[in-house]
Amino acid sequence: MCIPGDRNGLFLEAGASERLFGSPERLGKRLQRELEQLGYHAQAGSAPTPEAAWLIADEGLHIVLSGHIRQQLGPLPLPRLHLDKSQQAALERMGFRQLRDLLRLPRKALTRRFGPALPDYLDRVLGVLPDPRAMFHPPDTFSSKLDLPAEIHNCRALLFPLNRLLEELCGVLRGGDTAVQSLRIVIGHEDHEDSLLKLGLQSPTQDAGRLMTVLRERLERLHLPQAVRELRLDAPTLLKFNAGQHSLFRDTPAEQRQDIENLAERLQARLGDESVTGLTGVEDHRPEYSWRPRALNERPDCVALPHRPTWLLPSPSRCAIGDYEILAGPERIESGWWDGRDCRRDYFIIRDSHGSTLWAFREYKPHRGWYLHGIFG
Amino acid sequence: MTAIHQLLESTPLLWRGRQGSHGQRTLSSGHANLDAQLPGRGWPLGAATELISRSPGLGEFRLLFPALACLGRQGQWVILVDPPWIPYPASLLGHGLLLERLLLVHTRGGRESLWACEQALRSGRGGAVLAWPEQAGFARLRRLQMAAESGAKLAFLFRPESASRESSPAALRLQLEAGDRHGTLIRIIKCRGNRPSEPIRISPPFSTYAKQRDQTEHHAYPAENNSNPALAGPPISTAAAGPPVPRPEFQ
Repeated sequence: MCIPGDRNGLFLEAGASERLFGSPERLGKRLQRELEQLGYHAQAGSAPTPEAAWLIADEGLHIVLSGHIRQQLGPLPLPRLHLDKSQQAALERMGFRQLRDLLRLPRKALTRRFGPALPDYLDRVLGVLPDPRAMFHPPDTFSSKLDLPAEIHNCRALLFPLNRLLEELCGVLRGGDTAVQSLRIVIGHEDHEDSLLKLGLQSPTQDAGRLMTVLRERLERLHLPQAVRELRLDAPTLLKFNAGQHSLFRDTPAEQRQDIENLAERLQARLGDESVTGLTGVEDHRPEYSWRPRALNERPDCVALPHRPTWLLPSPSRCAIGDYEILAGPERIESGWWDGRDCRRDYFIIRDSHGSTLWAFREYKPHRGWYLHGIFG
Repeated sequence: MTAIHQLLESTPLLWRGRQGSHGQRTLSSGHANLDAQLPGRGWPLGAATELISRSPGLGEFRLLFPALACLGRQGQWVILVDPPWIPYPASLLGHGLLLERLLLVHTRGGRESLWACEQALRSGRGGAVLAWPEQAGFARLRRLQMAAESGAKLAFLFRPESASRESSPAALRLQLEAGDRHGTLIRIIKCRGNRPSEPIRISPPFSTYAKQRDQTEHHAYPAENNSNPALAGPPISTAAAGPPVPRPEFQ
């Protein structure tokens, strides 16, 4: 595949995939139709040699056999050929108008008048000489812009054009076996600074539906300062995609994890990034410092203390506990002398008059009554 | 026989003809006397269970630990939507819950909390969602019940005591109250297919300071005679010392 210089174009070697997609003509029609849906205009032509295909793409012609190239390309006006200006001018001066005029001449005569480059070029068109092309390497970023045919005033109406951009992105991702984890959507207004929407996922994806779900939540909260004129979708980095095996029933741990990540993304899109966390232990004897929220992809690290309460208050709170009974204790926790937040506490499990089992401590010194720190919920 | 029992214990999707009165699939609660009274002998899957208690600290959260630990071992997730306090990681781990399969969701409460809860219930299949809905009318609860069904999840809703007087679409409603000898009494106030039974007594919601890590997996509750009487202090009454002291203020 290769993109020729003067116009945007793409060569596809279609011979090897005829069984899958049908004839090159059918494949060309399908490509045209699908590109149309993405908002691109394309013309497709096919021929046994790349140069011949390129020359007839504008007319949407399809040549099946090499033997037909000479005849079908005959009426082609010479300015359409990929020749340099001086050669074009010379051909014009000599009165050549169509390709068939050139093909009638013997090769020797052509070489004498124009040098070997012209006959070699014609041989590549006809398939006499091989015509290898450089491979097309898709870019490792993605950016696509959409000018809206009419101004859009509300966020919901943005879903449709955005869906088109996402479909395009995911097509590129599937084609290159890549995935995205973050996206940037630039929403352009007539005379106001662009609005920016940043989307982050828990794991790389190439699924447009999953991106759309997250986007829908974000759009609901988006405030548009002005009508929207254009949209741009940027994926700054395309990552390698590791497709998992999908089983019939969604119950393997990997699939459970995927479901959880999708859920986390949906919740975070609406409630903010801080709203969804995991939990991990922190190595500290003081209970209030012995935990912290954890990102979902971080491994938890914790010691098991089954005798501790199920709930921890965010910080110990002074309280008066009436009519209580001590069930167990004291457990002394003495720590933190090094950071100025030292504690010397005697923890008790107590049951209050309502039958609630609580975890409370008295400070060993100074003695200042009860602090409630946990609940055996 | 043991293998069969283990399989039945560990696999909630195994259907047992003898017990499922309405084809209700369940997951063992891990408490034999509670299972015996529950239709399908366990927590209903794909249905909401309400846990109503007058005050916290009756072991209402820990009651679920054996089932939640079982879900974790199967690679399933436990989602807590707006828990009232911080789940103490060391304690959860001590009772066999897997921290790597625990998800906390914090919202600004109210409708947002119910929305998050519904999303959690609908996502994927299996696992459990625990929620503390503040104000939830019949219609809202019904949405949660439907969501639990669609996700085949265990859905536990912790409700204040006032909820026991309202009607609810939940499949199972339990009321917890303080019982004698530091234990907790559970009354089944609604269940599908069975008649509510006598109150069920479960042991106290705490373990003593003695190390009991070995028995955490299968017996989340220490046996009664495990508590060390030497550690239990005499009942202390502060009432005589002065005016009545207010109850602890929970946030």
